[in-house]
Amino acid sequence: MSKPDDPRASNPQDPEKLRFHFTPSADSDSRRDDRATDNPHAKDTTRVPEVIEALQDEFGAAVLELERYANEDTVYVEKRRIREICRFLRAEEDFDYFADLGGIDRFTEEDRYEVFYNLVSTERQKRIRLKVRVDETDMTVPSVTDVYRAANWNEREAYDMFGFEFVDHPDPRRMYMPEDFEYHPLRKEFPQLGVPGSLPLPPQTPDGELTMDPFAAAHGSKPVKSYDEPSTDPDSE
Amino acid sequence: MAEKPQFPGHDLGDQFRFWPKHNEKIYERLENKHAWLEEKQAAAQGDGEPPATRKSELDPLENEMILNIGPQHPATHGVLRCVVKLDGETIEKSVLDIGYLHRGIEKLAESKTYQEFMPYTDRMDYLSPYSNNVAWCLAVEKLAGIEVPERAQWIRMIMSELARISSHCLWLGVGMMDAGAVSGFVWTFQEREEIYSIMDEVAGARFTVSHSRIGGVANDLSPRAIEMIRDFIGKFPDRIAGWEGLLNKNRIWIERNKGVGRITKEEALELGVTGPNLRGSGVPYDVRRFEPYLKYDEVDFTIPVREAGDCLARYFLRLDEMKQSVRIIEQCLDRMTEGPIRSDDAKEAYPSKDEVYYSMEGMIHDFMYTDVGTVPPKGAHSYHAIEGPKGELGFYLTSDGTGRPWRVRINAPSFTNLQAMEYMMEGSLVADTVVIIGSIDPVMGEADK
Repeated sequence: MSKPDDPRASNPQDPEKLRFHFTPSADSDSRRDDRATDNPHAKDTTRVPEVIEALQDEFGAAVLELERYANEDTVYVEKRRIREICRFLRAEEDFDYFADLGGIDRFTEEDRYEVFYNLVSTERQKRIRLKVRVDETDMTVPSVTDVYRAANWNEREAYDMFGFEFVDHPDPRRMYMPEDFEYHPLRKEFPQLGVPGSLPLPPQTPDGELTMDPFAAAHGSKPVKSYDEPSTDPDSE
Repeated sequence: MAEKPQFPGHDLGDQFRFWPKHNEKIYERLENKHAWLEEKQAAAQGDGEPPATRKSELDPLENEMILNIGPQHPATHGVLRCVVKLDGETIEKSVLDIGYLHRGIEKLAESKTYQEFMPYTDRMDYLSPYSNNVAWCLAVEKLAGIEVPERAQWIRMIMSELARISSHCLWLGVGMMDAGAVSGFVWTFQEREEIYSIMDEVAGARFTVSHSRIGGVANDLSPRAIEMIRDFIGKFPDRIAGWEGLLNKNRIWIERNKGVGRITKEEALELGVTGPNLRGSGVPYDVRRFEPYLKYDEVDFTIPVREAGDCLARYFLRLDEMKQSVRIIEQCLDRMTEGPIRSDDAKEAYPSKDEVYYSMEGMIHDFMYTDVGTVPPKGAHSYHAIEGPKGELGFYLTSDGTGRPWRVRINAPSFTNLQAMEYMMEGSLVADTVVIIGSIDPVMGEADK
């Protein structure tokens, strides 16, 4: 126990937890269980136990892990079998609509990246989320474009933003950034103001040079002006 | 910096000084697209030569041409660039190039608190900012498990349906203008102008409203605002009837739209088309019915569906949707209950201004909410989608247990619709691209994120 009168009496190894209103408390296990299903915005559509069962029967060990939060089922599957799993879901389980795909940078030592797949069955009124983990050393992910054509642009975007290599993708170009750009901006190590010189922009004066750094002032140099500033002479007033 | 690309026989001067590889790749893609089909055709002809090349030698009108439409073109509704390969007047292949409005808001969100990100959502689908605010709030509330008071839910519903009307009004006006009727744009903009005034009265801003808050809404509807909304929905059905009278039997309008940009049910599902474009092809997928949020399961409305899948079907469908929105707003106004408009837990929502200005706790809570904000549990991740005017607008959020999101993934309807448009354009006339772009109704602010 710490005594507020004598700060030296408290054990520095065991600092008193601030009884502050906003300190996020560590989750106890019982609360975590509540959170798995209890949520004011929970929907029935995101619970798919029978689909998960079918996946486990069909693919066995390729279904790695199950997670539930806010009544949403997430299925972690093996990366190299994602295409088969998507094909199975589409053919056998009526997941006919591809809603979303994207990457996540977890910034961990192992299995740094994740790709999630958000699939919808308009027939059964269900939604499922698949996730694969991708290690930094092997950025390949099998492309699902021949199962869901709609994945095309989403995969291009994930490649653009994180640098995944989607194997057998019909059109492996960047989505937003120009091809000349060398980085993957949504990776956690990419600076928010960009890398100076990585993205040449049009000149800011009619006969000027290309703009190499649009945030020159933030990087400590003087930005080019497209006009001559009138001289500010305090005496002229 | 990369080197200047070589185009043998053409001196392009300084045209390709920046991003040379980018343009090269686009043209390369244009050549390679459906290349297997051309090879098949050439094989069927017996010689290795593609048939179009021979034709062009004989007939100057049948030659191939590559045309860049956009990114700065009034018909592309923003900075959309379509690179098309024409055979005469028919589009053989098309490649869309987007990203001219890419601001990286997914990246920016990672360094903002959940509430701070709200103004960025206004600038995604800037034709219906309120829907985006609601989508963002609901996504965060689901992630953090925040319950929203009932009155706030009704207010959000009213305002997002108004946003839908406003967005569809713009679509109709611009659609008419694309087809050649300039005066229609002014008429629909008058209605939009009234919705702006309502937004002004409710939120204090006409365009980028940012009125919804995490845990509720910023302030209650004033009696005057309710009166304005009632007034608006009272006369709006007459306006729709007026537009229908103008267009439904209008020969130019029908002929410009019928059978143009057709997409079948199967194709639409396969290409992941969303929103009115998907329902225009006969798939009754609407997030308001699929997974009802707010109070959509308590109000009575229908989901208009059309089977034809062409621009005309999408026109009828959007008009029907506006009528349904009016119906929803009427019911919301009747059923709206009195009560708080924001959660009163200081970890879930901002305190009211009265508390902030006149009590110490209120001020501390306000400060802490601005500084730290809502803190969802560590490792939580959830997806929440709403039916925006353009389609399914979803946010997939991942939390790391701090007040700032670890990753924000935006499932933008315009993005998915544009992907399908690339295929829709192929085989149509170049003059029809204008109508097709108009009827798909993409907003580049959203598609480019």
